[in-house]
Amino acid sequence: MRTQRRSVLRSIGAGMLALTAGCTQTALQTGSTGRKSTEPNTPTDGTIRIATTTSTYDSGIVDALSRAFTDNTGISVQAIAQGTGAALATGRAGDCDVVFVHAPSLEAAFVADGYGIDRCVPMMNDFVIVGPESDPADIGSQRSVSAAFSKIATSETEFISRGDNSGTHIKELELWEHAAIAPSGGWYLEAGQGMGNVLMMAAQRGAYTLTDRGTYLSMGANAPPSLLLSGPVEDGDRSLANPYGAMAVNPDRHEHVRYNFATQYLDFLMSEVGQTLIETYRVNDEPLFVPLADDETGYGSIDE
Amino acid sequence: MALRVENVARRFGETTVFEAVSVTIERGEILALIGPSGAGKSTLLRTLGLFERPEAGTVRVDQTDIWAATERERLTKRRSVGMVFQEPNLFGTTVRRNVEYGLRVRRSWRTRFRDLVPVIGNRTPPQPVVDALSLVGMEDAIETPVESLSGGEAQRVAFARAMAYDPTYLLFDEPTSDLDPRNTAVIEDAVITATRGEIGAVVATHDMHQAQRIADRVALLLDGEVVEIGPTEQLFSSPQDPRTQKFIDGELVY
Amino acid sequence: MITALLSDGYIWSIIRVSLYVSLTAIALSAVLSLPIALIVGVTEFRGKRLLNAVITTGMGFPSVVVGLLVLFAVSNQGPLGPLNLVFTPEAMILSQIVLAAPVITGISLSAIDSVDGGIRDAAYAMGGTRLDVAVVTIKEAKYGIATGILAGFGRAISEVGSVLIVGGNIVSDGSSYTRTLTTAIQLEARQGQFETALVLGAVLLVLVLSVNAIVIRLGSGGGRSR
Repeated sequence: MRTQRRSVLRSIGAGMLALTAGCTQTALQTGSTGRKSTEPNTPTDGTIRIATTTSTYDSGIVDALSRAFTDNTGISVQAIAQGTGAALATGRAGDCDVVFVHAPSLEAAFVADGYGIDRCVPMMNDFVIVGPESDPADIGSQRSVSAAFSKIATSETEFISRGDNSGTHIKELELWEHAAIAPSGGWYLEAGQGMGNVLMMAAQRGAYTLTDRGTYLSMGANAPPSLLLSGPVEDGDRSLANPYGAMAVNPDRHEHVRYNFATQYLDFLMSEVGQTLIETYRVNDEPLFVPLADDETGYGSIDE
Repeated sequence: MALRVENVARRFGETTVFEAVSVTIERGEILALIGPSGAGKSTLLRTLGLFERPEAGTVRVDQTDIWAATERERLTKRRSVGMVFQEPNLFGTTVRRNVEYGLRVRRSWRTRFRDLVPVIGNRTPPQPVVDALSLVGMEDAIETPVESLSGGEAQRVAFARAMAYDPTYLLFDEPTSDLDPRNTAVIEDAVITATRGEIGAVVATHDMHQAQRIADRVALLLDGEVVEIGPTEQLFSSPQDPRTQKFIDGELVY
Repeated sequence: MITALLSDGYIWSIIRVSLYVSLTAIALSAVLSLPIALIVGVTEFRGKRLLNAVITTGMGFPSVVVGLLVLFAVSNQGPLGPLNLVFTPEAMILSQIVLAAPVITGISLSAIDSVDGGIRDAAYAMGGTRLDVAVVTIKEAKYGIATGILAGFGRAISEVGSVLIVGGNIVSDGSSYTRTLTTAIQLEARQGQFETALVLGAVLLVLVLSVNAIVIRLGSGGGRSR
């Protein structure tokens, strides 16, 4: 049974951990609150900086997790919401302590290059394809993304892409590749904007787009696009899964990062408290995330 | 004890304004400086006023070679010379603060800072300020903002400003050319009164009648040199140099 | 809704950060800019027109670009890395100084340049030292200089590009750390919370309009002494 001792051991052994596909589960006792670590190399200010994506931040889960984490450990959280690429760049520059994004292929590079360690997969949500209620390309009847994309491309119905190398954009490109289609032409628009703006554009233009469920739900009544094809949160196409990876910035690369606190944060995400919070999180009374600490099916794995 | 330039030359780039000019002003006398426009009257006054260093020659204030002295000595000597310009050039504040200016800059920064702090009750203006303004009949306007003054009134205040700190020498660059006869008379009377008090004055003017009215001596600056310098009466009635006669007759005014 | 938002500590913390960053930036910019404006304004030298052009260009420098450059400088990988400024309000102050200083310098310079040379001569003739003459020049140009400072403040408080990039729009423990009115507005708008965005926008507008009102008052009241 993994106990508190293990997390203490890990903290002492800072900087020497090997990459694992999933963090070791640690149960933080509910009684251990506000105990700051007194190991050497601990920065004296109880703050940790997390770089995450705009869609993650906008769902509100980051603030919810931060509040609970601060209540649990006394460590304050500063969260910066950027594009996925920028968040990873921030991690590479050593300007943050934790990177929390949802782009496994980019995360793999980040870790392989030695900038990220202790990667774990605390949760996933999914992507959904939205579009006009009339569904001119008739994708609502399809079961797989490839089929849906095929119909959109063939009918040349307008599709808006993020076009900004975000996690969503990367996912979209992977899905096109998987469907063996190279999208191009007047119907395929690259917006270069955040998810919220792209959804508004899609609503205005009656276009299809790929969106993470979280942003779609939080737009609430503001999002006329209808949800037409769902991912695994509602038992849909598995390839629409949007797994999240959280990792610490490697102190071997950047001495000054608060690795100790980062570890506590990652442990928290994977802990029972964190996982329950994730599972019960609601946006407009709809569930958004699926906790993955116990997942055996390899969502979000970056092992070869 | 005099204000003098000895063999000074002023050049700007390729242009020479004058070479080898020597002029002496004694305390208690008024020297009028006449000559055509552009002859260098203003430049000569600025040299006497220690604005710029001459390209050649010496400037002496009461025996001290100004440009050979230390910065500190030069400042002290400079502060015994004042100047009134053709434009009043008043600072954008009250008459009183303008006239006080000379007194203020001669005090230490700490004293000046203390002066800024408003004191309850009426702060009476310093006596020298009142006296200087009385010389030109402007003592009632002491708290007036300068924007409300007419051109003539402003020039009178400019005169008071130059007098307030008790200068030894005063330079006037065409002080009344923009003024009406009444204000001109006020200024001229004030200049005469001041020099009776042992101030040495130089008045550059294009008005030869003015020179005749107030000056003890006259110098004619023409073609880059002092063509003639002598007692007023003599220069106008029987000038030594033919050019002087021509100038007075109006032939050389270009 | 407006009263609810305005009694919210979170909103006030945002206003506080905005004012802290911009006011500090302006104060420091003024200290930097005024001596430069003074020296350039009163001296005639060969490169003066070129320098003027440089300053004018600086006045219109895109704020995002400034943000990017400052980020590179203060990032832990950059030359100022050891100062630990990245994603702090102090980094935001730095980038706003870069944005505001040219504005303050340019407008003040113009005001100082317009001060009649005769005034400076008069101050000198009355026995003033170089410092005295400088003080007189600044006093004569004071309305123009004040306009420059207020214009600089307007630029700083309204910009979003640089403070977003170097500050990170951070809120910590429910209170703003580097979130300003402008970055908060863009966040709320991005999330579709348009009412909140508009209220924040109204607060910002009130700030900017008050500043402009002061500028206009100075402009018409300028030249008239106390």
